[in-house]
Amino acid sequence: MKEFRVLEIKESIFEDNNKDAQLLREQLKNDNTFLLNLMSSPGAGKTTTLVNTINRLKNKLSIAVMEADIDSDVDARTISETGVKVIQLHTGGMCHLDADMTRQGLKGLDAKGTDLVFLENVGNLVCPAEFDTGSTKNAMILSIPEGDDKPLKYPLMFQISDVLIINKIDAMEVFDFNMELCIERVKKLNPDIEVFPISAKTGEGMEAWTEWLYKEIKGE
Amino acid sequence: MHELSIVYHIVDQVLKVAEENQITEVESIVLQVGELASVIPRYLHACFPVAVDGTMLENTKLEIEILTANGICKNCGNVYPLLENLNLCPECKSEEFEMISGRGFYLKEIRAC
Repeated sequence: MKEFRVLEIKESIFEDNNKDAQLLREQLKNDNTFLLNLMSSPGAGKTTTLVNTINRLKNKLSIAVMEADIDSDVDARTISETGVKVIQLHTGGMCHLDADMTRQGLKGLDAKGTDLVFLENVGNLVCPAEFDTGSTKNAMILSIPEGDDKPLKYPLMFQISDVLIINKIDAMEVFDFNMELCIERVKKLNPDIEVFPISAKTGEGMEAWTEWLYKEIKGE
Repeated sequence: MHELSIVYHIVDQVLKVAEENQITEVESIVLQVGELASVIPRYLHACFPVAVDGTMLENTKLEIEILTANGICKNCGNVYPLLENLNLCPECKSEEFEMISGRGFYLKEIRAC
């Protein structure tokens, strides 16, 4: 029988990405670029929210967008109508972005000197929560039709987000969505999370959200 | 489904360790996967042959150990496995807990010749 040598590694497999993400975060800070990682399930209104947010901030800040999708460039086309720089990243079947892919996207975007870069992550409440992209802040969107029980079903996403946007409040009447209960559930998972109920369609609540974002970027 | 990219990453990590330690043959590698790590062992096994194709790990076995997801009850301090108790403390039935293990995902060891 052959003799084996056992090498004890005991290293977290996500460790490399975590280190890489930290490096990217520091680099972005030095460049004065604020990277917002925007996550949600498909159809929660990420692109509509982005368009509305960009239109409210583009006169005050230089903005660029990275659109991550498994396929198509439909979101990138919509965003490009706002006039900001946009790049489409195809993940080729991958369900999330990691720090290295984010860095490549920033390079492709030539984002140096940009105040604010949005990373529209792949629509998915599971995998993007597991992989640190190196973003300055994590934001997630939950929309009214998805239901107030989502914090119970996808706790990690709510735990790692710095800000929660609750979108489509114009549809509150049609759905059984208990706003108070939802926020209570979220705060239990993450007491420090900022919550903004909005309607990207009607513009309700958009001012509070964009003001918060602007202050974060300016470090006020 | 992110197991394939993860397996490629693990293979790179193992090859690096092998090179650093001047290892020419790896008998097996052992991973530890938490019950709540959102990585599925069956898929890791399925992706492994693809990722090692053409590398020195072609004949290496992949072993996976499962780490139980445990929580500590915030009410009575009892430590209990979360999945089989549906998160509820079996002692006091409280649902307030802090997860103490089960999300980890580690490269535990490499058995080399």
